[in-house]
Amino acid sequence: MAISDILNAGRSSLIAQQRALKVNGNNIANVNTPGYTRQRPILEAVPTSAGGGVRVADVEQIVDRFVETRLLGQSSTAAGASARRDLLEGVQSLFPVGDASVSGALQDFFAAANELSAHPEDLAVRNDLLDRAETLAGKLRSSAEGLGAVQREADDRVTADVADANGILSRIADLNRSIRVEEVATGSSANELRDQRRSALGDLAKLVGIRTVENDDGSVDVYARSGVALVSGSNAARLEARLGTTLGLDGAVLHDVGVVAPDASLIPLGSDPGGSIGARLGVRDDELVAQAGSLDAIAVTLRDAVNGVQTDPAGRDLDGLVGSALFAGTGAADLTVALTDPRGIAAAQSTTGGDNANALALANLQTTTFAGLSGQTLSGAMGALQSDVGASVRNATDAATIEDGLLANVQAQRDSVSGVSLEEEFTDLIRFQRAFQAAAQLISVGDGMLQELLGMVR
Amino acid sequence: MIGRVTQTMTSDQLLGNVQRLQRRLLVAQDTLSSGKKLRQASDDPAGAALVNGLRAQSADLNSLSRTIGFGRSVLTAQDDALGQAQDILVRAKEIASQQAGGLATATTRQQAAEEVEALERQLLTLGNTAIDGRHVFGGLASGTAPFSDFDDPGFDPLNPYTGPSGSFSIRTAPGTTVRLTTPGDQVLGSSIAALDGLRQTLVAGNSSTASIDPLEAAADGVRAERASVGGRARQLGDRASEITSSVSKITARLGDIESADYATVITELTQLQTALQATLSAGQTLQTSILDYLNL
Repeated sequence: MAISDILNAGRSSLIAQQRALKVNGNNIANVNTPGYTRQRPILEAVPTSAGGGVRVADVEQIVDRFVETRLLGQSSTAAGASARRDLLEGVQSLFPVGDASVSGALQDFFAAANELSAHPEDLAVRNDLLDRAETLAGKLRSSAEGLGAVQREADDRVTADVADANGILSRIADLNRSIRVEEVATGSSANELRDQRRSALGDLAKLVGIRTVENDDGSVDVYARSGVALVSGSNAARLEARLGTTLGLDGAVLHDVGVVAPDASLIPLGSDPGGSIGARLGVRDDELVAQAGSLDAIAVTLRDAVNGVQTDPAGRDLDGLVGSALFAGTGAADLTVALTDPRGIAAAQSTTGGDNANALALANLQTTTFAGLSGQTLSGAMGALQSDVGASVRNATDAATIEDGLLANVQAQRDSVSGVSLEEEFTDLIRFQRAFQAAAQLISVGDGMLQELLGMVR
Repeated sequence: MIGRVTQTMTSDQLLGNVQRLQRRLLVAQDTLSSGKKLRQASDDPAGAALVNGLRAQSADLNSLSRTIGFGRSVLTAQDDALGQAQDILVRAKEIASQQAGGLATATTRQQAAEEVEALERQLLTLGNTAIDGRHVFGGLASGTAPFSDFDDPGFDPLNPYTGPSGSFSIRTAPGTTVRLTTPGDQVLGSSIAALDGLRQTLVAGNSSTASIDPLEAAADGVRAERASVGGRARQLGDRASEITSSVSKITARLGDIESADYATVITELTQLQTALQATLSAGQTLQTSILDYLNL
């Protein structure tokens, strides 16, 4: 045991404690940095044979792989639930509760038909019926247009999501390469780059459901839920939203989403791609199509029922002729009022004035049930559609709230493992500071001993 | 259970709680200011469907009550007219009795014939009674009067009615109708014929004994029709009050489903405000950190 060993031990400790303090300081500095993973110096005793003392073997990140995986999954679910809720809320505003709705217009139309049955010859009443029919057709059209607009918005957002996802995929591939290069070069883990990759994966998971596999060389492979590779090592696949063949509610083509294969064909992402892309595709292709279908059924039933009474061979208009169709169109989106002359409304079933037999039949349609509407009345079917939309919004809102809560839980778990605690950092700070002081003391003791020896020589 | 607690966790949780409370406060305030707990379908999807059905029902009832009101005015007009027709027939029968006996002379019969002619004209006018230009004994047809004029060259006392043969009904309930009108010939045809018979007998200077029976039969017919009109008017009246009470029940149901209970909302609002204040003041204690106790 030589005095130089004492000095050496002191020196190594001074350096090691300083490095530890540096890591400490870095943690404290990043206490509010999103996605920052706390680091911990690993102190290691240097064997006495190699001169003794202490050194910082590595600076490791404190990460729980399983919590990270759960966080990615939950990010997808929560982002999907929010995207779904936002789109469906747009649908709900098309079907307000109250008189401003299609239901209100339907009630007004039938009230006018009832009024016609009391005053079949009154042109003002006839005009009013045509006006109400116009309003009703307009409300149905604007609801259908609204559904089409929400569907187009979903499609546009998916296209934007795909562009975002492509940016993130190539960033992850780049980071994979940089991490491998840096870790091979330095022999220690590239913590900051890994943090960046983790947050890129988190951003990607919000867009689309992913599965990750970490390789031995430190790179991460990313797969879509269907198993298609999105990133392998330093190569990123490319997602594409390509114009497909399905027509949207607005009559224009919708996009198909998938991974571009080497032969430029599109590999679909499966039935449930997850994330906001999956949720938006779901609302676009399922809910909105079903709701538009119900609305069309109502419009078509209304058209056929009213036209049926109006063109009944027994029916007569004010000029004693059989009536012509009142509504025209193929569905809710293009329903119009074809009849312009109020005299053309077939209120009578005979040519004698004051006959209201056909108007009574028209007014009775209000309470008629139709097989095409699953045995409901027109206004019942409208109520069912409204309730359906309301229920889907409610479910989506509840799901979004629950999934956000779960995400907060997982996030808290991640923070608990990987987040910076100032209390801990400052306690460590004191520990390392005192160790630094002790090491300095050690050197001064060694120095004293050396002085002593030198004094003997003199 | 979570082991380590970090700064981010505490602040994230605080922020999350504050936002959750503020979201609920927003809903509570909107409920309070709008007075509605069913603000959109997602607030209560089943309730929304119910509200839809109730509103449709109430709209139908309100529209029915308007047409029923019109029907009642038509029946009232008929009742008035039939009442006057009865008076006319009573007077005609008096004349017929007076001019039947031996006291009557050609002169008195001539004079009486003039009165009977006036009565006949009056009855024809009653047959053309109209509301807003629509004839209550003519199937509510507007335009030409259903009974032809006494002075018309083609006037036929046995067939004075030229209006439609159908009757007019209105809806009183889904699928149910009540008849408002009866073709005028069925109501007043025999009365006019009887009156004209009396008039012609008197003009000819003959005894009017034979005219009494037809007049009595005609009066019976008018009385029967008046009873029928009264019955239908009562039916409409009953239906109108039924509708009024149904509508008020529906309105009450709608209120139950749609309207907010102020006591509940205000209580909730107060609770939420208290919770928010508590959460925010909890946030102040977060400012305490280890740095306050260290003397580095």
